[in-house]
Amino acid sequence: MSSTSIPSKFDVAVVGAGPAGSATAYLLAKKGFKVLLVERGRGLGDKQLFGGRVYAQPLREVWPELDKEAPIQRWVTRERVSLVSGDKALTLEFKGGERKSFTALLPQLVAWMQRKAEQAGAIFATEATVDEIMFKDGKAVGIRSGNDVVYADVTVDAEGVNRLLLERAGIVPRLSPDHIALGVKEVLRTGSSQLEAAFGIGSDEGVAWVVVGDVTRGVPGGGFIYTNKDTVSIGVVIHLKHAINAIESGQLNNHVYELVEGFRLHPYFRNLWHGATISEYGGHLTIEGGLSFAPKRLVYPGLLVVGDAAGLLLSTGINYRGVDYAVYSGKLAAEAIEYAASHGGLTYDNLLEYERKVKDSFMYRDLVRHRAVEMLMNDPTMFSKLAEVFIGLFSQMFEQDYSVPTPYEAFTGALTEHNMSLNKLMSYMITAVRGL
Amino acid sequence: MSATVQATNKQSPEPKPMKLEDILQSDVWNVDEEPHIVVDYSKCEKCPTKPCIYLCPAGCYTLAGNRVVFSYEGCVECGTCRVICPMDAITWNYPKSGHGIMYRFT
Repeated sequence: MSSTSIPSKFDVAVVGAGPAGSATAYLLAKKGFKVLLVERGRGLGDKQLFGGRVYAQPLREVWPELDKEAPIQRWVTRERVSLVSGDKALTLEFKGGERKSFTALLPQLVAWMQRKAEQAGAIFATEATVDEIMFKDGKAVGIRSGNDVVYADVTVDAEGVNRLLLERAGIVPRLSPDHIALGVKEVLRTGSSQLEAAFGIGSDEGVAWVVVGDVTRGVPGGGFIYTNKDTVSIGVVIHLKHAINAIESGQLNNHVYELVEGFRLHPYFRNLWHGATISEYGGHLTIEGGLSFAPKRLVYPGLLVVGDAAGLLLSTGINYRGVDYAVYSGKLAAEAIEYAASHGGLTYDNLLEYERKVKDSFMYRDLVRHRAVEMLMNDPTMFSKLAEVFIGLFSQMFEQDYSVPTPYEAFTGALTEHNMSLNKLMSYMITAVRGL
Repeated sequence: MSATVQATNKQSPEPKPMKLEDILQSDVWNVDEEPHIVVDYSKCEKCPTKPCIYLCPAGCYTLAGNRVVFSYEGCVECGTCRVICPMDAITWNYPKSGHGIMYRFT
């Protein structure tokens, strides 16, 4: 951020050019606001990592040209959910066909969003790590990166899950493992024809696949698989609080990368990417229980918080929505700033419109409705036990020598085999069904 | 019989996990001269569990005997170590001026 090339006063300074920040900057620049979008990476989406799937409709509200222009890898036409126990697996597949969600490589998708913001007239400052949000008399007045200072009427914090700036400002406490999970990902290059043959899909199809059970060695979390054009994104997500407990108790004595490798080489999955090379590896934190992670307010004098930093990410164990939530919160922030400007100025009272909009949105409603998932995620035994019992049931039903068990025998056999009482299973199921 | 088994084994050998250092060869960094993370080793000495050894996805924290050794160069900037450190031994910043990991496909 060189002080010679960049003016020192803006209407809005947006910190972080991920999905949330880029959408905010794009919409405000389009409306004629003087916007600075600041990014610590090189402006190629090069700090971006996610699981692999984006829900399209909230993005279309910002970029109606999304379907035609965005770097979409594959539209998701098939949803698969697998329970895994040891080498055994139980898989359910749903074949849809609507263009509801797509797979993407986040660096490419975000680079597209960044270019949109720049083309709309936002000043895009790259390779600039913001050190602090500056406050004067309790109001945010701008940002500082090294010796460079930029003033703005409103600062939009889109710094992501790792909220160094909000922590430094005393707005949120230090990041705690309680509401945080770690995702570790491998991108496997297989080639498109091998990929389509292995997954049993056409060239215009894509798979989103959630895996529950043994892949995370009993630590609550799970695995994911997303098909790109000629690569497959795979990874595991583990709840950090439980990972720490599992290390302390000696249950987890593997390096976390070994979990991903165990998943890549799992006998049920490995033939899907046989012979593939790893073309990229990485890790990123994600939010479990967005509402508990959210700052007390989303609006402070001169400051709006959007995207992951605002806790706006839904994680139900089956559905993960982060990029679309981020973009949509950026849209609401931009609309609120526009509203404030046309209602007497960018005052705190006027900017509170953003908080009202978030609370009225599908995001907030869903985060409230899915709150029980937190309870679910907080019982470490439940995941592995449920997977074991269901796998056990199907094993009893299908793995036979002579005698065919009745469904009742298979069911009670599976329960006995895994030391599970019917009462306990029912209470788990009720929690699970309520939670999901 | 044993020949058949051998032949089968030859066709599909049990695949082995790669080493983390080999997996990390697929990534690209623009390494800063200054470390963006500083570890207070005096606190690590008193740490009973050292979860960083297991949970840093880039394996930046390793053990030399019983001592923690940290190297910042291969960091993927996820922030896990700062969140899990029970001793509050880690001063964590993002790299400056576009340095650090450069993802392309994730």
